Amino acid sequence: MNTLVKLELVRALRNKKYLFFTVIYPAALFLMIGGTQNGDVKVYGTQLGLPAFYMVAMASFGALTAVLVGQSEQIAKEREKGWVRQLRLTALPGHGYVLGKIASAALLSLPSIVVVFGVAAGVKGVRLEAWQWAALTGAIWAGSLVFAALGVALGYLVSGDTARPVVMIVYFGLSILGGLWMPTTVYPDWLQRIAEWLPTHAYAGLGQAIELGGSPHAKDVLLLAGYFLVFAGGAAWLYRKDTLKA
Amino acid sequence: MTTTSAKTAAPAVVSFENVTKDYGQVRAVDGLTLTLRPGETVALLGPNGAGKSSTLDLLLGLRPPDSGSVRLFGTTPREAIAAGRVGAMLQSGGLMEGVTVRELVTLGCALHPKAHPVDEVLARAGISGIADRKIGKLSGGQEQRVRFALATAGSNDLIVLDEPTTGMDVTARQAFWATMREQADQGRTVLFATHYLEEADAIADRVLVLDRGRLLADGSAAEIKARAGARRISFDLTEPYDEERLRALPHLTRLDVRGNTVRLQSRDADATVHALYGLGLYPRNLEVAGLGLEQAFVALTEAGADPGAGTGTGTEGTGAGGTGTDGAGTDAVAARTEAEEAAL
Repeated sequence: MNTLVKLELVRALRNKKYLFFTVIYPAALFLMIGGTQNGDVKVYGTQLGLPAFYMVAMASFGALTAVLVGQSEQIAKEREKGWVRQLRLTALPGHGYVLGKIASAALLSLPSIVVVFGVAAGVKGVRLEAWQWAALTGAIWAGSLVFAALGVALGYLVSGDTARPVVMIVYFGLSILGGLWMPTTVYPDWLQRIAEWLPTHAYAGLGQAIELGGSPHAKDVLLLAGYFLVFAGGAAWLYRKDTLKA
Repeated sequence: MTTTSAKTAAPAVVSFENVTKDYGQVRAVDGLTLTLRPGETVALLGPNGAGKSSTLDLLLGLRPPDSGSVRLFGTTPREAIAAGRVGAMLQSGGLMEGVTVRELVTLGCALHPKAHPVDEVLARAGISGIADRKIGKLSGGQEQRVRFALATAGSNDLIVLDEPTTGMDVTARQAFWATMREQADQGRTVLFATHYLEEADAIADRVLVLDRGRLLADGSAAEIKARAGARRISFDLTEPYDEERLRALPHLTRLDVRGNTVRLQSRDADATVHALYGLGLYPRNLEVAGLGLEQAFVALTEAGADPGAGTGTGTEGTGAGGTGTDGAGTDAVAARTEAEEAAL
């Protein structure tokens, strides 16, 4: 199991495209749109300055990319090519493959969070209490598990050919509508009312509450927990269905 | 373990009891009952769509049977695999991409409860030289050898191989079977599905013939050949003759007349030839030869293909020509076997 996780990590770290999109891309995007700390400009409808707002948004976005995009396409392809079947001929327990994917995704999402934070503190002058940095890292990291479960579910739902477009629609849809790229407060009312219930909106909300010095809102936490149950349940159901016909 | 009494006391390596598996309307495995004992080298033969792959899937626990039971070493397939007693190499088994051959084999060893050292596994599979190459940049034959390395990453008691030499050239194939014989000599049970009948003839000490999900024959290669009609006889007739009288020859299992050339298969060639002269005919260019396993196989599967049964309609194999009852198809197979025999 450990060897499998290690091999998944080695393989991902060797993949330059993957590294670029999970680690470099969110940090670079943050540098471009993150504004500056001085000027006291608050993001419309929030108490946060631009850099603080986008730091959490981009760290969440990077973590989302790491656990969602690479994973589901890979699962769909590896199912089709028979690697999952091959693993079932080993002593690895049936769910070991999925657990390995989630574990490696969780480890890979950490660098994308840390790099965005580093750029924010080093270049954009974001200053927070030590406990806030720790809580932010923990919350964004833990929250990414919701999307790791979604990634696995999608990987078992779609075929290798359709994986990429489907995952991209879900990924960009969730990122943009959930307010990771821009605050949802700029959206029209009806869209805001939808966005509020998206997992990505609650996800970004976790970090923003911490930045403001409080604890995450109960609504965001409950919403994420609910989504996690739905995604993980769906993934487990799809996995079992796949096992019967694999 | 080395004594015979221990062997007889041990549970069967593989035990199928009245196993059935349907895929929609198609019955892939039909009431299969069979037992493999320790140390046997068993070939699983059958035309396309005969249910070979389905049988191996059930054996390895990749799919559950609809009815009946599949046991390995007296436990479920999954338990036997988890205990490291089974190594398997399937055609449908894919490989993890983006990693090197050595990394993947290291993973295979790490996942095996009774693993061999990685270098030993690489060497035995003949892939030490390509250990640093990436999966995905290998030829078909090299991929097969990586699969073989994964199947033999630890000391298994049963090795299951599905068409293991597909994509290998002649040299690689011979090297592969030499390795496989070593495994069998160490007391392991080896079960392999193949469509190279000469492999079954040369390597297996037991041959199972599967057709339409049923076990058509079970015995040594020699027994299977004997069952199908042990000898083939061919001759030319230049004078006029009555085909019905030829058909009435004793011990005949097959008759094929093409112009002046007559081809027969017989269970007792001496008696058949004797009776042939008794008809007052003068056969020219008379040849009597042993039947290859391939012809025996064709004879068996044709005899088993009962057109009235109807259960086989819609199976993949029936239209593929492999089981075709037309003489032309059979002749093509026979000709190919002869060419192969001549090459050896």
